[in-house]
Amino acid sequence: MLIENMRMAFQAIRANRMRSLLTMLGIIIGIGSVIIIVSIGDSMRLIIEEAFVANGTTKLSVRIDEEKVKDVRESDYYTIDELEQIRGRFEDEIVYIDSAPDVRSRVTAGHSKMIFDFSGVDYNFPEVVPIVMKSGRFLTEAEVLGRSNHVVMDADSAKKLFGTENAVGRTFRTTIGGYTDEYTIVGVCEEETNLFRRLVFSLGQDEGTCYVPWSILTYPNDHFLLCRVYAKEDVDMEDFAKRLTAYIARIKNRNEEDFYVNSSIENSNMLSGYMAAFSAAIGCIAAISLLVGGIGIMNIMMVSVTERTREIGIRKALGARTEDILLQFLTESAILSAFGGLIGVVSASGLLYAVGALLQQKVVIRPVVVIVAISFAAAVGAFFGWYPARKAAREEPIEALRYE
Amino acid sequence: MPGKTEFSENAGKAGDELIRLVDLAKIYDTGAIKVLGLNRINLTIRRGEFVAIMGHSGSGKSTLMNILGCLDRPTLGHYYLDGIDVADLTPNELSAIRNRKIGFVFQSFNLIARTTALKNVELPMTYARIPAGKRTKRAKELLECVGLGARLSHMPNEMSGGQRQRVAIARALANDPPLILADEPTGNLDTVASIEIMEMFSELHEAGATVVVVTHEDNIAAYTDRILRFSDGCMISDEKNPNPTERSGKQHLSGLYGSLYRREEAAADAD
Repeated sequence: MLIENMRMAFQAIRANRMRSLLTMLGIIIGIGSVIIIVSIGDSMRLIIEEAFVANGTTKLSVRIDEEKVKDVRESDYYTIDELEQIRGRFEDEIVYIDSAPDVRSRVTAGHSKMIFDFSGVDYNFPEVVPIVMKSGRFLTEAEVLGRSNHVVMDADSAKKLFGTENAVGRTFRTTIGGYTDEYTIVGVCEEETNLFRRLVFSLGQDEGTCYVPWSILTYPNDHFLLCRVYAKEDVDMEDFAKRLTAYIARIKNRNEEDFYVNSSIENSNMLSGYMAAFSAAIGCIAAISLLVGGIGIMNIMMVSVTERTREIGIRKALGARTEDILLQFLTESAILSAFGGLIGVVSASGLLYAVGALLQQKVVIRPVVVIVAISFAAAVGAFFGWYPARKAAREEPIEALRYE
Repeated sequence: MPGKTEFSENAGKAGDELIRLVDLAKIYDTGAIKVLGLNRINLTIRRGEFVAIMGHSGSGKSTLMNILGCLDRPTLGHYYLDGIDVADLTPNELSAIRNRKIGFVFQSFNLIARTTALKNVELPMTYARIPAGKRTKRAKELLECVGLGARLSHMPNEMSGGQRQRVAIARALANDPPLILADEPTGNLDTVASIEIMEMFSELHEAGATVVVVTHEDNIAAYTDRILRFSDGCMISDEKNPNPTERSGKQHLSGLYGSLYRREEAAADAD
């Protein structure tokens, strides 16, 4: 009888195509927005995760908390010797350590001028952050120690500055630490291709990025705010952060609470938390639109029941039981909304993939979300279809037959 | 009784009571006043009879028709249909009775809109839980029988009034009910179609069916064997019609006899 009801329901839906479509519209939009919002949330999380992997998952930075500590002393900043001391103390756990120096400066190469972001790194930086070389090589230990004016530029910046990716051997002039000098490109690495991620991390269109030996940026200054550490993969980051901070506090003669610790795990957890909250908030709005869609279905089913009073009368006269009529109308509204949900899922997925392709961003649509969305739509239909269906089922055959 | 066909079983039992009304009354309670719709009706209709119920509007004939059709319940008294007292049945039990015992033919055809002739004829069998294959087969045979074999997939609005009423007759026969109840079956038809429909009922009667026709037209009632007249909720006369209208000789129902449904099969399907 269920199959029979589904057949009859499909027949009724087909017979009133336009009305069915309009009824489904609420559900289509509701489910569509749920899918889109959840997918945006999931995709954002993926982007953030990818970004943290790209930055190294074992990153940790410790600095004096200048907001908390009113009397910041000279000794609160790190010296090169201290960084070496920290490296020596945690030899078995630290892979990489530096002060994460960073300078922005105007660059001139022939007629082209650009703002560049110079990141000072050590020669073994590619061990902790995935940097893929396109041509040339990364910085060497000798270059770092010898403060050579050598840089590794990303392909995109090279293209903007020189008009070509093959910039190895090319030179430019810039001013760092008050000294204007000529710099030579020794390597070109892959740029950030993901348009969406570029937007998120606000990499300007007209700005370039490159890596230089940290020694160029720090000299002659020997006071560093940051101690940036990359630990080994298998290190328990929470425990390590604690011990590292304790050690730094001891050599600085400070309390542990006076330092601000920033770890990538913490950041990613925090951002994921924000994303989850964001998804939940928007999800509520989407749920409201589903509710509105459900009420739309109820409204149309009420109209449909009234309109088809005579049909109900005929069916009852021919032997339809109360349950038969109830089931028929219930199936109709459930199919209507499940079908609407399906259309919503398909069109939302299409839209998401189209936008994803445009932004060169992988789109995450979890199957469980799709299944839950469609089942939820059917449930909404059945729930809101219940009252009209019961109304239909309770019609007295004689009254229903008399209805004009 | 294997080998028996369509109405042969009914024919065999001709003379048995199919309908018995005992002191049946219907009172409409409109709140302010109570209206007596039917007043102490005592009536017996035997199997195989062809009966006309006549009366002007307000005479109680529609009320009676609704009660006979188990669409409405009497206020007082008893109505035995095929031996069952239907006065005490629940709405669902009444549905089952209508489904199995009564074939309806209405004035306004009452086919389901936007649904093919075939599906319309299948409907009573659907509610009788007859498997799809079997019911489609029988529905086709019934439509062929009423001369609409070429119009199986036509929608009601694509057919003439006469054709629609023939679909309704096919539908009424679907579950092989002991009683065919027709409410002003020719009220919306032209003369030619009216004659056609009445001759069909006449043929069904001849095949052994019990047919009750509610009408206010004498020439329609003239086809029947027995005419009951109603006025103000009372039965004022119950007469035999010695000379039912002769049929034109044209056969309207084909293949009905000895080809279709068997009661034993129906019983088997229902289990």
